[in-house]
Amino acid sequence: MTAKRLRVFALLAISTIFLLAWAFPIIWSVLNSLKTDSDVLAYPPKLVFTPTLEAYRDVLFGSGSILPNLLSSVIISVGTTIVTMLMAVPAAYALARLRFRGKRFAGFYVLATQMLPPVGIIIPYFLVLRNIGWIDTYQGIILIYLSFSLPFAIWLLVSYFEDIPFEMEEAAYLDGASRLKTLWRIIIPQVRGGIAVTIVFVFLNAWNEFLFAVVLSGNTVRPVTVAMFNFVSVEQTLWAKLAAVSVLAMLPVVVLGVVAQKHIVKGLTVGAVKGGGRR
Amino acid sequence: MPSFTPTRRTLLKTGTAAAAFATVGPAFLRQAAAQDVDLAPYKSAQIDWQQVSGETITVAVIPASYFENLITLAPQFKALTGIDVRFEKIPPAQIRQKSVIDLTSKTGTYATHAADPMYYALYAANKWVEPLDTYLADKSLTDPAWFKLDDIIPAWRSANGIDGKLYGMPYDGEVTIQVYRKDLYDAKGLKPADTLEAYMSNAAALNTPNDRVWGAALRGVAGAGQNMYIYPSIFREFGGDWMKGGKLTVNGPEAEAALAWYVDIMKKYAPTAAANWNWPDIADAFSQGTVASYIDAHSSASVINNPEKSKIIGKVAYARWPKGPSGKRTTSIWNWGFPINSALPEKKRKATWLFIQWAASAETQARTAHKFAGPTKRSGVNRTSVWKDPDYIKLMNGFGENFVAATMGALQEDTDVDWRPRVPQWPAIGDTMATAIQSALSGQATIKAALDDAQRRIEPMMRG
Repeated sequence: MTAKRLRVFALLAISTIFLLAWAFPIIWSVLNSLKTDSDVLAYPPKLVFTPTLEAYRDVLFGSGSILPNLLSSVIISVGTTIVTMLMAVPAAYALARLRFRGKRFAGFYVLATQMLPPVGIIIPYFLVLRNIGWIDTYQGIILIYLSFSLPFAIWLLVSYFEDIPFEMEEAAYLDGASRLKTLWRIIIPQVRGGIAVTIVFVFLNAWNEFLFAVVLSGNTVRPVTVAMFNFVSVEQTLWAKLAAVSVLAMLPVVVLGVVAQKHIVKGLTVGAVKGGGRR
Repeated sequence: MPSFTPTRRTLLKTGTAAAAFATVGPAFLRQAAAQDVDLAPYKSAQIDWQQVSGETITVAVIPASYFENLITLAPQFKALTGIDVRFEKIPPAQIRQKSVIDLTSKTGTYATHAADPMYYALYAANKWVEPLDTYLADKSLTDPAWFKLDDIIPAWRSANGIDGKLYGMPYDGEVTIQVYRKDLYDAKGLKPADTLEAYMSNAAALNTPNDRVWGAALRGVAGAGQNMYIYPSIFREFGGDWMKGGKLTVNGPEAEAALAWYVDIMKKYAPTAAANWNWPDIADAFSQGTVASYIDAHSSASVINNPEKSKIIGKVAYARWPKGPSGKRTTSIWNWGFPINSALPEKKRKATWLFIQWAASAETQARTAHKFAGPTKRSGVNRTSVWKDPDYIKLMNGFGENFVAATMGALQEDTDVDWRPRVPQWPAIGDTMATAIQSALSGQATIKAALDDAQRRIEPMMRG
């Protein structure tokens, strides 16, 4: 009995240490976002200080307001998620259920873009977008994001579709339902969880993306990940403001994470999302 | 002197008017601002500023106050030339990447961009940017008597030139100098160091980590613009030469002695964390009173004098780089210059040149510096004449004792065009050297091993 208790205690201690290590950057950001610039630099670091919302006010309503950037991020992430899901669900269903020529090849081809390091494909993407005049546009960035979110979503969803017993579908056919109706009424409700997980991952990948965004965006479309960088200037690092923007950029992710936690955990255990996506 | 100082009333007036005509607001505001501005100093140039009126160009800059001030004045440029300028602010690390992508693909996205002087060798070798000589010599585009090219700091011009041809017009720059705590130095009867040896002994005398004061700090973090920004000065001062017999050489006895000095001072007298510091971190630490001296860009003076953060205002003084064993002082030759993108059609190239000429002119330099209406004044103006302007000198000496003399002395006498190896392969070489320096600073490799390894890696790059 005591041995078991000791084990529980040890495990708790270890997990607390890990939790603190992982949470530290977030705690640090939240604390610093509430400090003034001189408090940020104070030594020893102040744990007790007069919190101020000055940094938040500056980054939201000051001259370098990030509100347009947050809006850019929302449009890009939501746009990417919607288009991805509209295309990924039928594609994943087809790959999981239908028998057609070149199915194996198609399945493999979907992964092709995932095989190159992103840095290697930035320039071709830049040139393509430049030639069709889509640099610094929402459709341009969403199009490029689709190139990695779509394969990821398809492969994630295929495993969910494959889990559904074929008999369920057959029963629907026997009752006279068409293939589309079966998909809509029978299959999709069964993979609700999988779809939720996919939505969360696709959204997060798009929200946190930086590498493509910094090259393909401009003055019109500039997501918050790129705009945040401007607080690290050659002249100085504006720690309090940088921390405030980080916290603001984290919020939607945290909210989404809490709401979808149940599904995410389930999704991870399915085993189809090793590595949790590329970015 | 004519200058752009909108009164409170004109600002209020244009504000109300713009609100009343909300649909035409932005255009109206621009016009109103333009009318208030005295353009006479520009119009005395014997050129037709309006020759390519109606063109639009995009200019990439980094987010920094000296470019912010220029952006504020852009409506004046529009009024003068009829050219629209779209500014795009890109962080320093990405501006190199984005502009190189733009130049290699010949898309002409950025008519000009804030360029790193170390990149001109690459730009010129590929003919991605135009030699500016053509534009300077064209009487229809430039009035030499008005523009006065010679007035622009020679060190920065030579930094932006390849084989005697200018490729980028310096707009704002910096030099590395000694920054020290006069109060601490005085208390111990120390003088700012004249030699690297003295710099080390000063640092030793002031190093009292128990009182949270360290002797010195230099940029330690790996990067072509970080530790490879400071090390080249030490290397040159120890008599190092990047080109030995026409071959790029980064190892050898001078290099070993230079790196040993760097490692020594960082290990013994700098805060342990400084191995990962870039200059904003050094300036932050100095402003909190924990570092007795550092050698870095003169422009950091504005950060350590920021009343909202700094605890050491009034206790700072400046001096030039200490001399190395070779008897030389070697400062940086850093500046942000504007090149002309070769991929542009002729009319846009002309528009770009007019923009560059306007931005680099004495009048615009003054209007973005001591005559600027906003809170931030530039400390990196590109012209000797502005550095001699009493108003500007008064403003700059507010940063502390000997600021202007140290900066100007460094700019005029301590510069060395071959401070860093100016070859097209620089981006890769800079990174390789930065990694080597870091491995020596962190003790992962001995000094000799780190440098020999760097040499081995660099040789194939030079062949390719």
